[in-house]
Amino acid sequence: MAWKKPIIREIE
Amino acid sequence: MTLPAASIPVIPRGVRLHHDKVRNQWVLLAPERTISLDPIGHAILLEIDGTRTFETIARTLADKYDAPLDQITSDVGEYLHGLMIRRIMDVAT
Repeated sequence: MAWKKPIIREIE
Repeated sequence: MTLPAASIPVIPRGVRLHHDKVRNQWVLLAPERTISLDPIGHAILLEIDGTRTFETIARTLADKYDAPLDQITSDVGEYLHGLMIRRIMDVAT
């Protein structure tokens, strides 16, 4: 798996 | 935004990794919020054991993903900072 900038996503 | 190389990220008490079987994804459970983890976010969290420095974690991930250390350091630092301002990550120095 290639590196991809991680994103913080909050679950409502 | 990045962290000092020698700082040690720590998952606070009351925050834990959890596999959500319904959504089939990893999440970070905190008392007042839940964070959905993408595969890279999950990989970062798995490297945090409360003893390893930010620099060590970044180098490990750079080797694992065969990616430039500068990019990993920047991305991981920004990610951890985002968790810190949400109070779901601490840093020991």
